Amino acid sequence: MMMKKLLACIAALILLSVPCMGICETDHEIPTIVTIVRAPDQEKAERPPCFPDPTENYIPMPETENYAHGKKVVSGVHADVYVSKNVNDGKTDTYWESKGLPAEMLIELGDTYSISTVGVFLNPASIWEPRQQEIAVWVSTDGIEYMEVAPAFLYQFDPATGNRIRIDIETVEAAFVKVIFTKNTATRTLGAQAAEICVY
Amino acid sequence: MKRNCMTLLLLLLSIALLLPALSGTAEDEATMLTIYEGPKTMSSSSVASVSVNGYDLFVYDVMVNHEHIWNANTQPTRTPMTYFDFEGKVQIKISMPGLGKDVTSAKVIPLSYGIEPKIENGVVTFCIDEPGQYTVIFNDSVNKALHIFANPLETDVPDFNDPNVFYIGPGEWVMDAIALADNQTLYISGGAVVHSIISVANAKNVRICGRGIIDGSDYPAWNQAGSYARVPIDLNHSKDVSVEGIIIANSNCWNVNSYSSKNVTIDNVKVISGRQNGDGFTFQSCTDHVVTNCFARTWDDSLVLKNYSGSTKGITFRNIQIWTDLAQSMEIGYETDKGWTLDPEISDVLFEDITVLYNFHKPVISIHNSDDAYVHDIVYRNIVVENAMMQGDNGFNKELIEMTLQNSQWSTVKDEFGSIDNVLIDGLTVYNTANGKVPASRFSGHNEKHRITNVAMRNVNILGNPIQDLKTMKVSLNDYCDAITIE
Repeated sequence: MMMKKLLACIAALILLSVPCMGICETDHEIPTIVTIVRAPDQEKAERPPCFPDPTENYIPMPETENYAHGKKVVSGVHADVYVSKNVNDGKTDTYWESKGLPAEMLIELGDTYSISTVGVFLNPASIWEPRQQEIAVWVSTDGIEYMEVAPAFLYQFDPATGNRIRIDIETVEAAFVKVIFTKNTATRTLGAQAAEICVY
Repeated sequence: MKRNCMTLLLLLLSIALLLPALSGTAEDEATMLTIYEGPKTMSSSSVASVSVNGYDLFVYDVMVNHEHIWNANTQPTRTPMTYFDFEGKVQIKISMPGLGKDVTSAKVIPLSYGIEPKIENGVVTFCIDEPGQYTVIFNDSVNKALHIFANPLETDVPDFNDPNVFYIGPGEWVMDAIALADNQTLYISGGAVVHSIISVANAKNVRICGRGIIDGSDYPAWNQAGSYARVPIDLNHSKDVSVEGIIIANSNCWNVNSYSSKNVTIDNVKVISGRQNGDGFTFQSCTDHVVTNCFARTWDDSLVLKNYSGSTKGITFRNIQIWTDLAQSMEIGYETDKGWTLDPEISDVLFEDITVLYNFHKPVISIHNSDDAYVHDIVYRNIVVENAMMQGDNGFNKELIEMTLQNSQWSTVKDEFGSIDNVLIDGLTVYNTANGKVPASRFSGHNEKHRITNVAMRNVNILGNPIQDLKTMKVSLNDYCDAITIE
């Protein structure tokens, strides 16, 4: 009888001790099933593969000289800090934004050139969502008499194609190029927007 | 006797064999642990070494800022941070070779965890059995405090074969920006460090999830010449959006931003920032947002609601840990009508189960209605402030609670004023203050018409003492306040 009681006590003690196994306040090793998520071999930060580089789909521009770069530009009232000189500083992460529409951006080329293409760029980053802007181009050799060379047209800007549009025109002599914006479908602005305007 | 011995042996053998069946299999008992290698382009911190159940973790050094006053050219410092996922129990071991001195004491916060770490030969050891955010303070100094994000195991992982799911795996990645459209999911795996920003504009049914890090360290602070704000999570005119599980570090501006958006849930998102205007969770003119189980250590307001283009309604912050190195912990304002809208309101806001680990600069609880909004039905429930260390700005804004109806440098509507009505603070506990005394609180209405009314405080305990009258609470009221009570 005593033996049975003793055995019962031993069994109870063993059973009671089960929940204590692995309690981490002790130095016992805690049974662990571990998953180690491995890092790939890399030598530098890369573009995530799920977002293929869209640059090969960018609308190409002429490889000739951009006559607008760094030249004098004149426009009306700009929004906030988005001044006109941003439009030909060679950087697409700065931009000009007019305070309302219509808006004109006049580029004084400083000399007379034969031009055949005007490119209008926005920041190509994907957070610059697709939008349309209605744009016309007028040119002049004397800054007084202007001639329409590209009538107003609703152009599609899309980061998938570089957020840029290309306006090809009949080759014409120009010392002044006026780019006229009459519509912008972007939801965050009431004005025209351009990170760069290039003249080739 | 011999028979009895045999019986005993047989019984013990039987019990030994039965044990796994009685108590479950070894797998059932085992802790499930997921750890993430850091990118091979990066090195684990030399400041802290951390292991979990014997497995070494990759430790990141992230920007924080110990300057507790605004400085447009402030320079952040760094502190260690690490993370893992688990279910069960884990033992965490920490050594701090980069602390510059021996570890002689350690404290794990929030104090509500009730953890008493052991220190042996400079190694800090403690155990946890519930997921959460754990911060370890060494030698009673906030310098090099270690943030440990112990996530629950991942569930509801998206289907990577779904064409609407973008999967970013472990490793270091860079991309100018990620724009998500309707019905898209972005998964950032644990072990990933993504130098980018995520924009959700005019979109619906969007999910951002995973365990990885969105990192802004590539960019200068947004207010520096040539830089601009690159908001890690930017929701704009969107609805039905969820953000889960990720870490945001080293942002060059504010962090989780939502503007004119609706039906947004944010869960288990951890923000650590040390640069200019590094607000944590900041919502403007939003409705129906629920933020749960999150962490915000910030160098500007941690949780902040404003009106930019309409009213704010139905915002819940629940079970959040806050560490505010600059500005306020829970701020409504200052801009309450930046969009100059008709009849702007901020209403139906709940801050519940909020633990403020440290609040170094301005008030812990604040409503600065500095435009013309009607701010009403605001509830603060079970707010625990472990360290209310408000140093203020030149003697101002040192209060524990501050509610005002005055113009400020952030006002848009300067000739009209609003009101504050029906505010409940139910459960406010302060463990520690800068000078060991009860900090002041301030209520300031504007005029006879624009008043602060019906603010009820109850279950307030400061420095271990129940507070049951306004005088003991050091509450100052001007003539344009009514029914400000404490019980």
